Amino acid sequence: MRGTSLAAGLVVLAVVFLVVAGLYAFGVLQIFVTDPHSSHHYTHMVLFIALAVASLVAANFARPKKV
Amino acid sequence: MGLLQGASELFPVSSLGHAVLIPSLLHWTFKQSDPSFVPFLVLLHLGTASALLLIYRDQWLQIIRGFFTAAIRGQIKSDSERLAMLLLVGTIPAGILGVYLEHALKNLFAYPKAAAGFLLVNGFLMLGAEVLRRRAERKAAVEGRARVEQEERFGAAEHISFRAAALVGACQALALLPGISRSGVTIGGGLLAGLRHQEAARFSFLLATPIIGAAGLIEVPLLFSSNVPVGEYLGGAMLAFVAAYVSARFLLRYFRSGRLDPYGWYCAAAGLASLVLLTFRP
Repeated sequence: MRGTSLAAGLVVLAVVFLVVAGLYAFGVLQIFVTDPHSSHHYTHMVLFIALAVASLVAANFARPKKV
Repeated sequence: MGLLQGASELFPVSSLGHAVLIPSLLHWTFKQSDPSFVPFLVLLHLGTASALLLIYRDQWLQIIRGFFTAAIRGQIKSDSERLAMLLLVGTIPAGILGVYLEHALKNLFAYPKAAAGFLLVNGFLMLGAEVLRRRAERKAAVEGRARVEQEERFGAAEHISFRAAALVGACQALALLPGISRSGVTIGGGLLAGLRHQEAARFSFLLATPIIGAAGLIEVPLLFSSNVPVGEYLGGAMLAFVAAYVSARFLLRYFRSGRLDPYGWYCAAAGLASLVLLTFRP
């Protein structure tokens, strides 16, 4: 049960990271960026996509397995 | 610069610190605050990363295969799968801090005194890691035995915990500061995690490749958009490759029985001497 809720939490986290990546890509989010006038922040986008992938991998590890 | 970077990147003496300090001390003509300076350094780092890829080519193939296999299966069943996941965990802290503190860190490259100060701190960090390691050796009751025998009591990179990998990753993030040696603090972190010196060096070298590759992908395109002598810079990267290859081979042999102490004392002395020279020179 604990594994299921942890996995679900990590999937939600991955979705949040993907949304943040999209917001950086389209320039909606301007937090901690080098050039606030730029309309795209691809470095931040790549970072959040990588974090989303890492969260999904962690979720796959956390889910209960059939023995 | 290529030879200097390739050698000092893998020797635990801070390549970035030397790249900031030596041109200042020797009055070389390029400016560290120039927009092409960081992409140039990253190009040199790519030369170093290529040497590491060549040395660990078989391991990297296993690690990449292990990553995808374990990620899809959701379970770790082999050493290479575990190492792949440990490297993922270890890469995250420097990745996040590198992106978010990029601007502040680039500004630090224009302050050689800051690099000298961090080099001094780097020396003490490595000496501190060795003090703690000697304490662990006393606990393991291996004092007085041959160094190679002492080292055998400690573990291999594949067997550290994920928490320890995150600790080594956090140490790697510290090395974004010019003067803090990436290999020095990650080897030090590896020693604290209970690795043998040679295994700590191997984990440090493996951990270097993804973060340097990512930095290269981001920074190198800037080189080709600015008016810089790309041919000369590529020549520098080739020299960095050769120096890194020779250095890595030497260090992996050295750490079979060697310690971080000589490098710690060197960094402390070089940092202090640079601080004095930069403060009092006319």
